[in-house]
Amino acid sequence: MNNKHSERMGDFKKMVGEPFLLVSIIVVFYLLIVFVIFPIYKVVKTSFVYDGHVSFRNYAEVLSHDYYIRPLWNSMILGLLVATIGTVIGFVFAYAITRTPMKGKTVFRLVATFPMVSPPFVVALACILLFGRAGIFKGAIGNIYGLTGLTIVEVIAYSPTAFLSLFGILQSIDPALEEAAMVCGASRGKVFRSIILPLATPGVVSAWLLVFIQSLADFGNPMILSGNFSVLSVQAYLQITGMNDLARGSTLAILLLIPTLLAFYTQKYLVSKKSFVTVTGKPTASTIKNLEWYVKLPVYVVCVFFAGVVVLFYGMVVWGSFQRLWGIDKTFTLQNYVQMWAVGKDYIRDSLIIAAIVTPICGLLSMFIAYLVTRKRFFGRGLMEFSAMLTFAVPGTVVGIGYILAFNTSSALMPVTLTGTATIIIALLIFRNLPVGIRNGIAALQQIDPSIEEASIDCGANSGTTFWRITLPMITPALFSGLANSFVRSMTAISAVIFVVSGGWNLITVAILGFVDNSQYAQAAAMSILLIAIVLIALFLMQLATDRVGKGMKVGLMEGEQS
Amino acid sequence: MRKRMVVVLAILALLALPLMAQGTNEQPAKKNYQTLKMYTALDTEEAQYYIEAFEKSTGMNVEYVRMSSGEVLARIEAEKDNPQASVWFGGSNTEHISAAAKGLLAPYKPNTTFELSRNFHAADWAWSGFYTGAIGFVTNKDFLAKHNLQAPSSWDDLLDPIYKEQIEMAYPYTSGTAYTTWATIIQMKGLDGALDWWQKFDKNIHQYSKSGTSCIARAGLGECAVGVGFSHDIVAKGINQGYPVVISFPKEGTGYEVGGVALIKGGKQPEEAKVFMDWVFTKEAQNLFKKYSRLPVNPDAEIAEGAVKLSDIPLINYDAQRAGLNKDEWVKAWRDRIGK
Repeated sequence: MNNKHSERMGDFKKMVGEPFLLVSIIVVFYLLIVFVIFPIYKVVKTSFVYDGHVSFRNYAEVLSHDYYIRPLWNSMILGLLVATIGTVIGFVFAYAITRTPMKGKTVFRLVATFPMVSPPFVVALACILLFGRAGIFKGAIGNIYGLTGLTIVEVIAYSPTAFLSLFGILQSIDPALEEAAMVCGASRGKVFRSIILPLATPGVVSAWLLVFIQSLADFGNPMILSGNFSVLSVQAYLQITGMNDLARGSTLAILLLIPTLLAFYTQKYLVSKKSFVTVTGKPTASTIKNLEWYVKLPVYVVCVFFAGVVVLFYGMVVWGSFQRLWGIDKTFTLQNYVQMWAVGKDYIRDSLIIAAIVTPICGLLSMFIAYLVTRKRFFGRGLMEFSAMLTFAVPGTVVGIGYILAFNTSSALMPVTLTGTATIIIALLIFRNLPVGIRNGIAALQQIDPSIEEASIDCGANSGTTFWRITLPMITPALFSGLANSFVRSMTAISAVIFVVSGGWNLITVAILGFVDNSQYAQAAAMSILLIAIVLIALFLMQLATDRVGKGMKVGLMEGEQS
Repeated sequence: MRKRMVVVLAILALLALPLMAQGTNEQPAKKNYQTLKMYTALDTEEAQYYIEAFEKSTGMNVEYVRMSSGEVLARIEAEKDNPQASVWFGGSNTEHISAAAKGLLAPYKPNTTFELSRNFHAADWAWSGFYTGAIGFVTNKDFLAKHNLQAPSSWDDLLDPIYKEQIEMAYPYTSGTAYTTWATIIQMKGLDGALDWWQKFDKNIHQYSKSGTSCIARAGLGECAVGVGFSHDIVAKGINQGYPVVISFPKEGTGYEVGGVALIKGGKQPEEAKVFMDWVFTKEAQNLFKKYSRLPVNPDAEIAEGAVKLSDIPLINYDAQRAGLNKDEWVKAWRDRIGK
């Protein structure tokens, strides 16, 4: 006890002796409080205010109206379905790529990650062309408007998220373990149940949760395909933008937040208690030889089927973008691209400028926070990690509403009004994309011996110099994957930014949604394809840059989304 | 390490550069105008068409955001302490009337070469109407042929079970088009009668959308059989695009909109906004409406071929003022009964 106390005093003295560290901790805290805690607090507060008094009336009103309750249940059902199916598909894909001698793994990896670089509602558009009432395969899967259609498009859009996080987990489980068990006489099923599943459980749970949160926040697909199956994220949006009812909108947002937060912290608590990860620091790439056909066959079938579906859906989008009149007059034309460019070039410019500002700031800040929470000991460290990771568990809708509430007027925390500026969009994207970078950074730092940094400090360098000169170069791969991730997300985000876009600054995803709203499907498809192309080119260039400056490092989607 | 950072940053900057250059290359303003900030409820492509013509003619720079008219109203109300835009361009005047009643607009009588009809502007000029159009039905021809039907020609035709889950339109609380429809029904049947009617009508609704025009192309695609929208939108975005659709009107009479343009109170570019208001009523600007089949209010302007004139349609004595003032109450009644 005494010992601990004096240790703390020592920490404190060290901090006071290092003004840079102290100042930067305060600055980071300030930023997190303003851009993460404050907006969420505002949503909570607004939901409890009725006619200027604190009260539960908003909740009472919401919970007594069918048109608010039904979307709540619908969202839950959809989220559960999508998360479960998406995780299974993601797991099978990850298993196939890490464990089987499947051919064309690169192609499968690419196909499985493709939906991540595209704006999500593109899939819904393709779904109408394919399976709509007037679609090519009309009636093949019943009525696509409602739960069925939404489940299909969200599984396509979000199972890649599950795949990427499970891929990282399965890759780190050495197949030698399984082979050893087989040699000892265990059956394939026994190996799966007693080795792979327990080891992968934390990953499976967190993948499930990620998909669940994405489905709850999904906004683009339900706008197009919901039929009479209304969901909460869209209702919250209509409540605010259509009826200017911030109080009820905030209440709906809180209803969206509760299940996610509950699930998020239950899983954190449960998983951290029983995780037996065998992280060796290096991914093991070998596959299992002599895999039985009854394992391989279903795995291959699922992979080929899912990859086929992804190709089919995106193929439709490409084809549709060259049709003279989407779905009616299929003559080849480039006019959609011409029209799209006339309307959209400003949007594309704005999107790129904003992503170019967000990406480096987000990348560096996330590494710096990772450095602080893993390497430094200071009062409130746990709180810093918690608040930085908070946006991860919060659906985009809630964040977006929080930003309008928090920054529409000036306050003690933020003396200038941010609404209508680019700053609000940039801040939102930075703080929304931080968690993935921080996770990557923490994971990377935990594998590096702190003694090098200690040596630097002992030789008289301060924490800032040490971070910039020693730590950052060592975790460059994590930094670059953070950069790639935040670039992709800045370009394709919709559910939070839709609330804060304004005249001066428009985003490409918002433009696409505008086209969709107006049923200009072909132009929407053309613009989506342009967006996908820009993102892929940017990722390719970033990959090229890293390859040139640091041999053996990889950036890109794969690492970017592994979390 | 720094080198790597520099390389990545340079690439990002390079990506953004050509686009930035394009933005700054625009021709300098003829006069010392500020950039005019605008909210528009016209569709992006159409808004852009008018705004570019305006920019060319005056040398002014315009920044605009496209939202549905309900959203514009919500946004202006939310921002009333710190207005972000100076002009509200487009959307039915219903929403402009609500906004005027809430004191969100700044009255201004545009300089015109003609007398603007009394029905087409607010008494105090809080808003002015720059085009007109009536509520009509857009119906998929293949559906009609398949079921051996005529296009719906009465409001009650829409209650026919043959259209079960085949009709689409927007939510009355997010779209001016849909609200005009709702207000039309109320003015014909009274609020209670209208609610009863709509409850039956709702059984035939496939889905409600956010924006008033989306049902037109969807009827064209065959994703639904019938859409309810404004005549000019149906002609421009349905028939003229080549979709297999027909337009029809209810014989009992229908409501109509007057497209509104208004100055936002407290907007930071009032002079520029007035220049824009004046321009909207010029023959030059009104001629542009032809492309989207909107009916101009300037008698000297040309009328698009195939456009439906108000005088050709049975109209009810639509009271836009009443519709605008009762919007909150009527929308709440709709939501409470229909539950959507």
